[in-house]
Amino acid sequence: MSREDLKKYFEILELSSHASLQDIKNAYLRLKKLYSSDSIVLMPLGDEFPERKRKKILNQIEEAYARLLFYFKSEPQRDILPSEIPVSEKVSFEENMDYPSFSGQALKEIREKRGIELSEISNQLKLRIELLKNIENEKFEALPEEAYLRTQLKNYAACLSLNHEKVVEDYLRRYKEWKDKI
Amino acid sequence: MIPTKEREGEIWAIGGGKGGTGKTFLVSCVGTCLAKKGKSVVLVDLDFGGANLHSFFGMNRPRKTVTSFFENGASLSELAVNTDIENISLIAGDVQSIASDNIKFSQKLKLFRQLVKLNSQHVLIDLGAGSHNNTLDTFLMADKMIVILVPELIAIENLYHFIKSSLFRKVKKTLKEYGFKEIVQHIWDRRASYGIKNLKELMDYLKDSFSYLGNILEQELANFKIYLILNMVRNNQEIQIGSSIKSVLAKYLGIPIIYAGYIQYSDSVWRSIRERRLFMIHYLSTGCAREIELCTENLIQDKEVGFYQAY
Repeated sequence: MSREDLKKYFEILELSSHASLQDIKNAYLRLKKLYSSDSIVLMPLGDEFPERKRKKILNQIEEAYARLLFYFKSEPQRDILPSEIPVSEKVSFEENMDYPSFSGQALKEIREKRGIELSEISNQLKLRIELLKNIENEKFEALPEEAYLRTQLKNYAACLSLNHEKVVEDYLRRYKEWKDKI
Repeated sequence: MIPTKEREGEIWAIGGGKGGTGKTFLVSCVGTCLAKKGKSVVLVDLDFGGANLHSFFGMNRPRKTVTSFFENGASLSELAVNTDIENISLIAGDVQSIASDNIKFSQKLKLFRQLVKLNSQHVLIDLGAGSHNNTLDTFLMADKMIVILVPELIAIENLYHFIKSSLFRKVKKTLKEYGFKEIVQHIWDRRASYGIKNLKELMDYLKDSFSYLGNILEQELANFKIYLILNMVRNNQEIQIGSSIKSVLAKYLGIPIIYAGYIQYSDSVWRSIRERRLFMIHYLSTGCAREIELCTENLIQDKEVGFYQAY
């Protein structure tokens, strides 16, 4: 991630770039709560601060959080791993996006929207880029056995800070539909 | 406006829209904190609606008030009277004094000229409630623009109005200085046809349409920041309202808020007011007094409250 991007994400979460992972988590939860509820802080603005604008801010917050989590995960000098955050508190990106189900295409779009390169995930997970591409392109015949695929999907979903249980469930459903046909 | 180097003391103006949020109380407390640090302080009561700063110092209304300035041409510095507290003098207001909207333009300029010439390290101005242009102009001429708020819907609504009006006035004045007197009002009056819904969109429109105006605004507004103090908070959720307002105003108006601190609700405050005894002298052992000292320190140092520590 470039320095400018990093700075931008910290700014969206209203943090200095010295913020710890705990600060990021606190800021994320606080801002998400603020912009998704009708607090007395937002109410007086009424139409001047429309739903559409709030949604946009929420999406920026989600993106910044996901990207910063990823950054912390891939920078060893940042000591705490994001995996220590309970799953229930992780970003549930699907709430704000138009993806009822996580197909390979949906995963690819989400990843691109967040500006995460396949090579970054590849480095992170020590997986071949080719495999990741096959997952996104639903090239099922080239994918490993279900048991292995399950683990890889789970890790891939975690990199995008998605709800990995739902990703695995949705994706494997499509995988099985394909398998039943052949 | 007036270059900083010509100024004697640093001017802090305390406003915020709604009445009864604790402006006068804060002025008396912060003034006392500064004086205890050995700074010379002049407090100016420009709350034309309900001037009572003197009573916070246990004083009856002095014979000389700002009324003498407006009606008899007295100079501001000769109106300052000593208080019981070393280093603090006071220019009292008057309930019978001139109404805010009756102040003539020339009087206003004279007032500002004399405020910056007051021979003191700190000048604290109690602005009173409301968002009248004269109130806004006094707020805008200060070195530090401070607002005080209580965590209630109406107070927040009034605060937004106050801040929006201040910013709008600042933008208009700035562009007027550069010879674009009418353009802002003109566009604002026809904002529907320009597809503009709020002040932020107006500024974005100006920046996009006239890049030179954008540069001017960026330059002039670079130092536009407002210090926020939250008063009468009762729990942690209310403390957090300060940071929520900071977030919303940054994202909605693009202006920085420095959340300098909060003061918890306490009976000791109204007791001190009822007894006409200075809070920062007679109630120094309370939690509120600690919080006010912290607010003052943060105001001096441009720092924010470490509100996460409060959880």
